[in-house]
Amino acid sequence: MKKPLPPLFHTPTFTLWSNGTYSTGQALPRRRGRGEKVFSSRDEGRKRFLSILLLFIFFSASLSYAFTLKYMDEVGREVTFLSHPQRIVSLAPNITEILFGLGLDEEIMGVSIHCNFPEKARSKAKVGSYISLDFEKITSLKPDLIIATGVGNTREMVDRLEKLGFPTYVIYPKNFNDILQSIAHIGEIVDKRKEARVIIEGMGERRQRVIELTKGLPLPRVFIQIGDAPIVTVGKGSFADDLIRLAGGENIAGKEKEVYPRFGMEEILKRSPEVIVISSMNPKSDYQKILQEWSRWKAIPAVKNGRIHLIDSDLIDRPSPRIIDGLEEFARVLHPEKFNK
Amino acid sequence: MKIITSKKVLTISIFLSLLLILVILVSITMGSVKVPPLRSIRILFQSILGLKGAGSETERTIILSLRLPRAILAGFVGAGLSVAGATFQALLRNPLADPYILGVSSGAAVGAIIAILLGLSTFSLGLPLASFLGALLTIMVVFYFGRQDGKIHPNTLLLAGVIIGSFLSALIMFFISVSQKEELHTIIFWLMGDFSFSNARAILIIFPYVLLGILFLYLRSRHLNLILSGEENAVQLGVDVERLKLVSYLSASLVTAASVSVCGLIGFVGLIIPHSVRLIFGPDHRLLIPASALVGASFLIASDTFARTILAPSELPVGVITAAFGGPFFIYLLRTRKVIKTL
Repeated sequence: MKKPLPPLFHTPTFTLWSNGTYSTGQALPRRRGRGEKVFSSRDEGRKRFLSILLLFIFFSASLSYAFTLKYMDEVGREVTFLSHPQRIVSLAPNITEILFGLGLDEEIMGVSIHCNFPEKARSKAKVGSYISLDFEKITSLKPDLIIATGVGNTREMVDRLEKLGFPTYVIYPKNFNDILQSIAHIGEIVDKRKEARVIIEGMGERRQRVIELTKGLPLPRVFIQIGDAPIVTVGKGSFADDLIRLAGGENIAGKEKEVYPRFGMEEILKRSPEVIVISSMNPKSDYQKILQEWSRWKAIPAVKNGRIHLIDSDLIDRPSPRIIDGLEEFARVLHPEKFNK
Repeated sequence: MKIITSKKVLTISIFLSLLLILVILVSITMGSVKVPPLRSIRILFQSILGLKGAGSETERTIILSLRLPRAILAGFVGAGLSVAGATFQALLRNPLADPYILGVSSGAAVGAIIAILLGLSTFSLGLPLASFLGALLTIMVVFYFGRQDGKIHPNTLLLAGVIIGSFLSALIMFFISVSQKEELHTIIFWLMGDFSFSNARAILIIFPYVLLGILFLYLRSRHLNLILSGEENAVQLGVDVERLKLVSYLSASLVTAASVSVCGLIGFVGLIIPHSVRLIFGPDHRLLIPASALVGASFLIASDTFARTILAPSELPVGVITAAFGGPFFIYLLRTRKVIKTL
């Protein structure tokens, strides 16, 4: 049986008189359609008349006419912008990956300095890092839509961008399902719904396959190392923690309240992980050293059985479409007998 | 001591004001986006005159909404911290004193971090208000413990301030160690000082404190001179020494608190500018205070301009520039001027 996909689209925050539904059975998002202006709820009659009139005018006008859209973003802010944004600035690597995934190569005007994937992203104008934005550069790019992330960008930054006159939509995915939802949201605001749906369905199917293959298998205890001095792992609320669960494993730090708890060697020995996953930004260089470091601790089952693996950190802690690759990597590492054929 | 006439004070002040204006003009022509210098300046002057001619909409936004507020805020903060530093050096009779030495900055930092951790920083004014309150509380506590028999003793005040500051630093480290990744960024950037969110509101918060503080301290510059020649001496000459110490402590602290609350901790300016000005123009507070304000403003605007352009599109913390450029320059002054007795 197929597990239903998560709700993909915004739920409406007020009712439009011209209500329609998507095939998913969900109501239309909060959106003002073609040519409809903002009216107060009192002049319903005039509104209806004017909207028909405007509709008529705009249908006769060119189809590329941009109309005003109003959306609630993922942190509950109201964002107003023109449809079919042509000049988009992405403030985070995962957003850049999603935008390229939707085929917006031309519309992406600027990206953050962290945006390293796909290769095409490197040639786009750089607008600063998560923590320090180059507002000047952004202004000069004249974006008609900026997409920010609730993880790295601060409220102050977003307010600043809005004040400068640039509509800024914030996504804030917190787990695998949220990522699918964020892709759907972005697909919607940039008018690439079909492309978004293809990505989401592909990811959903691949996830389903992992879940089915690992169903009923024992859950190996996993330790993820994201830093070596001091040893930092991932707790509840991180993407990697979510991936371990989906891939049929148990994160030994999964009950920690901190997202990135520091772990002492004693604690690791006590919880005796069966698999150790090293998440490295810099795959080749320090892997050997870290491996050597671990080899001293033969009491840990993962060390004794040689089950220490390296996974590209961009695949497991970046809420982008590639997170599905991360999930499959995890599944392969946790249940090699099922996946290595 | 060289004789200081009010004419000399005026001449030097006018000269330094012109320098400040020049620095502001240069600052608004520089940035990661190239706007031709002459056009930048024309945009500025036309907007001052209420005209709207030169430049595109984008260029006007860059000059008037991004670069100009930033230069003005950096100017106020630089002026405020420098004058506060000069005052603390006189009050504590200690050349190592700077605006942060009595723990005001640590108090502000604790206030700011608590606001960030509680999520108050998302409200407008949440962060500056919390850090200002933290600073205010620290000023009161330090004052309470820094007095003996109702009098301010420089060394007691200094010790009380340093120790309360260390205690608060421990709190800061504790908060940092328990904070999450996202909050950590905000906290670290706040601690390093940041002008990238400069806007009219921040300027409105800080300018009354800085202007009134500087004016207030300037009016007492004669008495500050006397107190440096010895408290007894000053008492004999009719100065109400305790009152003078109290008001200069409070006004310098408030100026510091207001500066820190809008842009975080920017180091080095408050220590080095008063000393440099002393080395160049002499130790008389009638000149030292206005000159420190003007030089401090120019210096911080220039440093911030470097900080935001050197590694564009990334930005360096301005504290890196103030220390990297200010330090060697100060050493150079020390070596060439041969005036070791600076206070």
